[in-house]
Amino acid sequence: MTITANDFKTDLKPVWCPGCGDFAVLSSVHRALAAAGCQPHETILVSGIGCSSRLPGYVETYGLNSLHGRALPIATGAKLAAPRMTVVAVGGDGDGLAIGGNHFLHAARRNVDIAYFMMDNEIYGLTKGQAGPTTPSGDRTKSTTYGNPDPSLDPCALAIAAGASWVGRGFSGDVKGTTDLMTRAIRHHGFAFLNILSPCVTWRGEEQHKELRAQMRPLPADHDVTNREAAMRFTDEHDVLTTGVLYEVARATVLDQLADIERRARGNSAPVRSDFLAAFG
Amino acid sequence: MSEDITFTMVGSGGDGAVVAGDLAAMACASQGLHVIKTEAYGPQIRGGESSSTVRVASAPITAQGDAINALVVFRFADFARFHSEMTLAKNCVVLHEPADVPPAELAAYRCVPVAFAQIAKDAGAPAARNIVALGILAAMFGLPFDSIRAAVRKRFRKRDAAVIDANLRALDCGITWNGAQFEAGPRFDGRTPSASRLLMSGNEASAFAALHAGCSFFAGYPITPSTEILQLLGEWLPKIGGSCLQTEDELAAIGAVVGASFAGAKGMTATSGPGLALMSEMLGLSSIAEIPSVIVNVQRGGPSTGIPTKSEQSDLFHAVYGGHGDMPRVVLACCDVEDAFHATVDAFNIAEEFQLPVIVLSDQAIAQRRETIDAASLVHEVIPRRLALEPDDTYRRYAITEDGVSPMTVPGMAGGMFQTNGLEHDEEGRPSSMFETHERMNAKRYRKLDAIAEKYPLFRTFGADKPELGILCWGSSAGPVQEAIETMNASGARAAAFVPRILAPLPAKALQAFIDSCERILIVELSYAEQFHRYLRSLVDLPRTGTRILKRSGGKPLSVVDVIEAAKVLEGVTA
Repeated sequence: MTITANDFKTDLKPVWCPGCGDFAVLSSVHRALAAAGCQPHETILVSGIGCSSRLPGYVETYGLNSLHGRALPIATGAKLAAPRMTVVAVGGDGDGLAIGGNHFLHAARRNVDIAYFMMDNEIYGLTKGQAGPTTPSGDRTKSTTYGNPDPSLDPCALAIAAGASWVGRGFSGDVKGTTDLMTRAIRHHGFAFLNILSPCVTWRGEEQHKELRAQMRPLPADHDVTNREAAMRFTDEHDVLTTGVLYEVARATVLDQLADIERRARGNSAPVRSDFLAAFG
Repeated sequence: MSEDITFTMVGSGGDGAVVAGDLAAMACASQGLHVIKTEAYGPQIRGGESSSTVRVASAPITAQGDAINALVVFRFADFARFHSEMTLAKNCVVLHEPADVPPAELAAYRCVPVAFAQIAKDAGAPAARNIVALGILAAMFGLPFDSIRAAVRKRFRKRDAAVIDANLRALDCGITWNGAQFEAGPRFDGRTPSASRLLMSGNEASAFAALHAGCSFFAGYPITPSTEILQLLGEWLPKIGGSCLQTEDELAAIGAVVGASFAGAKGMTATSGPGLALMSEMLGLSSIAEIPSVIVNVQRGGPSTGIPTKSEQSDLFHAVYGGHGDMPRVVLACCDVEDAFHATVDAFNIAEEFQLPVIVLSDQAIAQRRETIDAASLVHEVIPRRLALEPDDTYRRYAITEDGVSPMTVPGMAGGMFQTNGLEHDEEGRPSSMFETHERMNAKRYRKLDAIAEKYPLFRTFGADKPELGILCWGSSAGPVQEAIETMNASGARAAAFVPRILAPLPAKALQAFIDSCERILIVELSYAEQFHRYLRSLVDLPRTGTRILKRSGGKPLSVVDVIEAAKVLEGVTA
């Protein structure tokens, strides 16, 4: 039986505000899981905390909406324990770059074979409008009365620098394009990071959606995805939103490394209890 | 009459005090003797002072040696750092380099100069003064020469034959030096050897327990004094197809364990106080989302960085109370090395059957000492996870049940999908902020503790049947308490101890019955703030008069004499 996007839908009603970009992202997730050939019972969806981290509740898989910032370690443990499962982590910019920033570096460095979709709205939505790591410098938010004193961070630049083997950028309003990027991310062998600009109509204004759509540009046709420096040129952009696969290389994943370790550790015969106790006399 | 001796070697890094202690302990264990071996270090990463203390006995022992019969000091400057933490027997023999003058406080003991370095040099092994000293001690107490030779060969098996021969010559020079002349303590040479025992540390026992219990995933971050568990499982798990992940921090370690467990694997992490503090939030998720997790917390001096290399029993509050919200969890405590094995397997059994976080409290004294145990004792029933084997459309992940346990499904099981979270949720896992749901689900989750209390009333009691004096303690304090009770009861006292091996839920009924059967109660713990005493006060009734606390900060191990002295103060008990 062919699995379709509908097979991934649940009957739980999203808590998101009308007009939230995350609705479109959810739709892309349903479609991409089907397009990538995933089975609902062989898929694990993990999120942190935030508006976007509610997403696993709306997808019929094994889903866990976990703790703020901790989606990636949980997804890593799940993937190592059940390598046959498709593991996808989702969350927001505050969740993944602020409180969970350390895990982002290390998941990318390890090249854990999971896809990570970051719904980036440049604001803390669930706590009602405070500045986050991707909020532009100078922006007034509820926590930055006099303007955001901190520069913003480009998640794709961070992912590439930390060693992610697949890095892409999408826009929630472009459902077809985002679905395609998600499908490729899920199929990628290694840590696939997809930054999805997903407007927050409530705290970033109705205009954010229109602005992002106007700024959206595809990558140039001659972009070399294996060239790190070339990929970096499409990070830290201003007034432009370049979408597509910025970077893609083949690199051993942590599971590949562990499989190799297992081969070397096992030797020729499976050890028994007495082999482990031999070191103790 | 059982033979029982303790000897200590003190030196700087490179003197090999610890290696010599290991060799003696291994040799004695192989002859079926009972051994407890401890080490102490200064704060330096390499070099610096170190000491190794070995207690050997022909009958079972539960505490490290109280009174040192022979002390080998390669440099008195190093000894000065440890002196306040060591007690020498009255007839202790102190062996030292001739040029190094014993300090005044050792004047009362027999100080004997031995040219360790020169003897080693003459034997062709200039670095082997520790081996020379080992030979002298072997002759002094009649320790098994051939087993020590075998231990030396095993230790240096990867070195040139010439190195091994030189060390064996150094050993023989020590043996023929005539250590027997001092009569520093009982001798073991009249004894018939019995079956070889294993020599293991608490951390090694915890790691082995994980394998025994079927753990296939470990994640951890290095932290003293638990790191050996990470290291050993990093070596062992790949051999059986499991995975070991050294994470970026403790937040990730417990996160990865929860993820692995969610995906169907038995997962464990190990840490110490500061790491447990970082893991607290995730334990809340493990509790509310009902995902099994096992945490071995090896206690050290705290708070903050505290004294990382020394033992204390001050993470009790954090383990039983730490966390946000009403969070059912189970806390087990091990009393010795063998018990570290059993407690860890129990932790997996309880976590898997009841779907909650289980913390095993070990401590540095157990985790890093090596003691002899019978290989045959390392068996323990393993209980599998309660799975919903054929989930259908009516499957509810958090179905309300009598004992609070809802059968789990794991990824890969068709029809078993569920979406869960750290939000309060209904029986299907859907988020809910309703009071009724919160109350009902709290009740469901807390019912599991009742079932656990019923099934796992884990405690040890020992001593007199109708005790006058009842001693309450936990963890590594149980060792010296047990020997203190044996000593006191041998001189006519009627003392007994109750040692809970599960601290939450506390076996309060059995404990209360024990307390009520005693006239006086002594509580023994290594916590300045009396955490155990205060915890007991919240759950059982202690006699208003006739309850005494023996407590102090960690950093100095509790001794048998400490317990006996404290017991003496309680009227009517003679030691």
